[in-house]
Amino acid sequence: MTGLETGDRQGFLAPARRRLAGGIATNPVHPPPPAPAPGAPAPLPGYRNLDPDDLVATFAASLAEVDGTCHVVDAGPDGALPGELVDRIVGELGDRSAVVSGEPAARAVGRGLAARGVTVHDATVAHAAAAGLGITGAVAAIAATGSIVLDSRVAGGRSASLLPDAHLCVVSVNSLRATPADVLRGLGSEPDALPPSLVLVTGPSRTGDIEQLLTLGAHGPTALRVVLVTGGP
Amino acid sequence: MTGHQLDGTTLRQRTAAAVADERLRANVARAVDRFAGHRLTGLAELDHEPAVPGEPGGADGLRRAARAAKLQVLADLPDLLERFADRVLARGGHVCWAPTAADARRYIVEVVEAAGATRVAKSKSMATEEIDLNPALEAAGKEVVETDLGEWIVQLAGETPSHIIAPALHRDRHQIRDLFVDRAAASPGLGTDPAELVRFARGRLREVFLGAEVGITGANIAVAETGSIVLVTNEGNGRLVTALPRVHVAVLGMERLAADWAQADLLLALLARSATGQRLSSYTSIVTGARATGEADGPDELHVVILDNGRSDLLAGEHHEMLGCIRCGACLNVCPVYRQTGGHAYGWVYPGPMGAVLTPLLAGDEHPEAAEVAGASTLCGACMDACPVQIPLQDLLLSLRRAKAADAGRAERAAWRAWSAAWSDGRRYAATTRAATWGRWAASLTGHLPVGRGWARGRTMPRPAAERFRDRWRAGS
Repeated sequence: MTGLETGDRQGFLAPARRRLAGGIATNPVHPPPPAPAPGAPAPLPGYRNLDPDDLVATFAASLAEVDGTCHVVDAGPDGALPGELVDRIVGELGDRSAVVSGEPAARAVGRGLAARGVTVHDATVAHAAAAGLGITGAVAAIAATGSIVLDSRVAGGRSASLLPDAHLCVVSVNSLRATPADVLRGLGSEPDALPPSLVLVTGPSRTGDIEQLLTLGAHGPTALRVVLVTGGP
Repeated sequence: MTGHQLDGTTLRQRTAAAVADERLRANVARAVDRFAGHRLTGLAELDHEPAVPGEPGGADGLRRAARAAKLQVLADLPDLLERFADRVLARGGHVCWAPTAADARRYIVEVVEAAGATRVAKSKSMATEEIDLNPALEAAGKEVVETDLGEWIVQLAGETPSHIIAPALHRDRHQIRDLFVDRAAASPGLGTDPAELVRFARGRLREVFLGAEVGITGANIAVAETGSIVLVTNEGNGRLVTALPRVHVAVLGMERLAADWAQADLLLALLARSATGQRLSSYTSIVTGARATGEADGPDELHVVILDNGRSDLLAGEHHEMLGCIRCGACLNVCPVYRQTGGHAYGWVYPGPMGAVLTPLLAGDEHPEAAEVAGASTLCGACMDACPVQIPLQDLLLSLRRAKAADAGRAERAAWRAWSAAWSDGRRYAATTRAATWGRWAASLTGHLPVGRGWARGRTMPRPAAERFRDRWRAGS
């Protein structure tokens, strides 16, 4: 359904069009660089911290620098995480509940936790707000920045990665990309395929608003654990 | 919120108050030093192979490309805005064209009323500060809560932000703890450990997120080719405000566009590094339309308010490049004036070098005294060196000062002309530097004559040497 437009579009744009039609003043003291060739995309930023031959290692290092934790695991045929990792997650969770978003990989992990006695709910807002852990998948991960990319349409919402105290994200190593450009620069090709919310999550929620001292868990999760999965279903 | 300070005080009064506050200066200096150091580390990691040998590479090459990209956007701005708006509409979002602050306020109040909302959660947005949105919503009987921690702190204090990305950097943990106890009903047992203060705020603001019917954000970047809005936050307030309330209103300064995702990628690579030194902020949210079928959360309605409020007057003219600003705060962090005064001395919404340019240009019509804010700089050029899109801030400041000087009173201009004539001539120069003349000259500047009284205030007249250099030269001593 098309949205509604309020106000006079052409009236709004008329002053800008009028001013631009008269030519644009250029700064004489620090003249601007020449305009890019028509149709040429903005140059690609290079990342000196990126090892193009070892995206997994770059991702793990980048994520650690933003206070996240990375695990590289070989998931079983049912998508279950290794028992040792599950032990650790269950131990940290205590008697609190978990929520799980819609991706099959996340649900497989949820089933594994439920089998260990954890209460696991679908990620409604109410359940997510009460949960100690949110489990999601991701549509991509980005090595140079240690980011994971969350798609609200694929996940069925936003709350599982946002409201619980900790976030566990399971993503296939095949979804690992080198730089943000590898994710962002493709978005224009299919505007209608963009979900209502696509988020690059780079570490847990943080604030420096009190004396610029880093404090984790301002509004979103205090802890972020990313599991890069090789193999799996 | 009491509105902004362009309230009859002068730049000199506000600066004097800031400089006299030792605690404020210590807090500001600590913050800007951290930010500026992190920025250098963050930018050093970026790489760029120049297309033409001899052109700058690395982060400087990318900054140069970002300047070119922003200029390209501004040259195409009307068409890009149309493309952006058409994409927003196609994805079911509503668009409001708001030529003035009043138009934007009126529309947003109507949206909030139509939603039957009593409580509005806001994510940090300088554009909503600029249009004085909070007082308008409060006048309509709405409870408005800022959810960025720093912004909430200044809201509780009845202040305005003192830095565009760290609104409360002028306050230390003790002041913040006292504020939470006095104004937010925190237990008197609340400590001053930042983690404890953040935990308190998290609990209190979580209730706000869950209870608000409308969420209001700004927009860091709007991407024309997909009609997307990019919100960058570290705390997650931008995500929560766009996930839980039923209605999302985004206020977008009309110049904040990128034509496509290649430009947005370039700007995002520079934005967080320039602000805090981070590769990316914790959350880079890309919002494209309202909630989709099958999603458990997200707003049912998305409204994008496109704001002019004086911006189109800058297009194509002498101050055109100011519209390239991506609001990272890097120029504040390197400015020797900001370091001493913090943000409130600038008197309006935007402080630092970018604020010293924008304040006269955007607030000048309503507040003619805003013109003097361009004087709050040393013209040292550190701002342009730090700017991720290389806005020639010192040139823009100088041009604003020229404009102000051209408006100066006839007496002041005559005085400067007389001084210029006297000191351009050897004999007349010699006459004025004789001790007796020097004394009269000094007296005239320190207020015995009406001319120059304002100029002389706050300046220290150099004391003449006991013996003039030219006399010693002649005497061969």
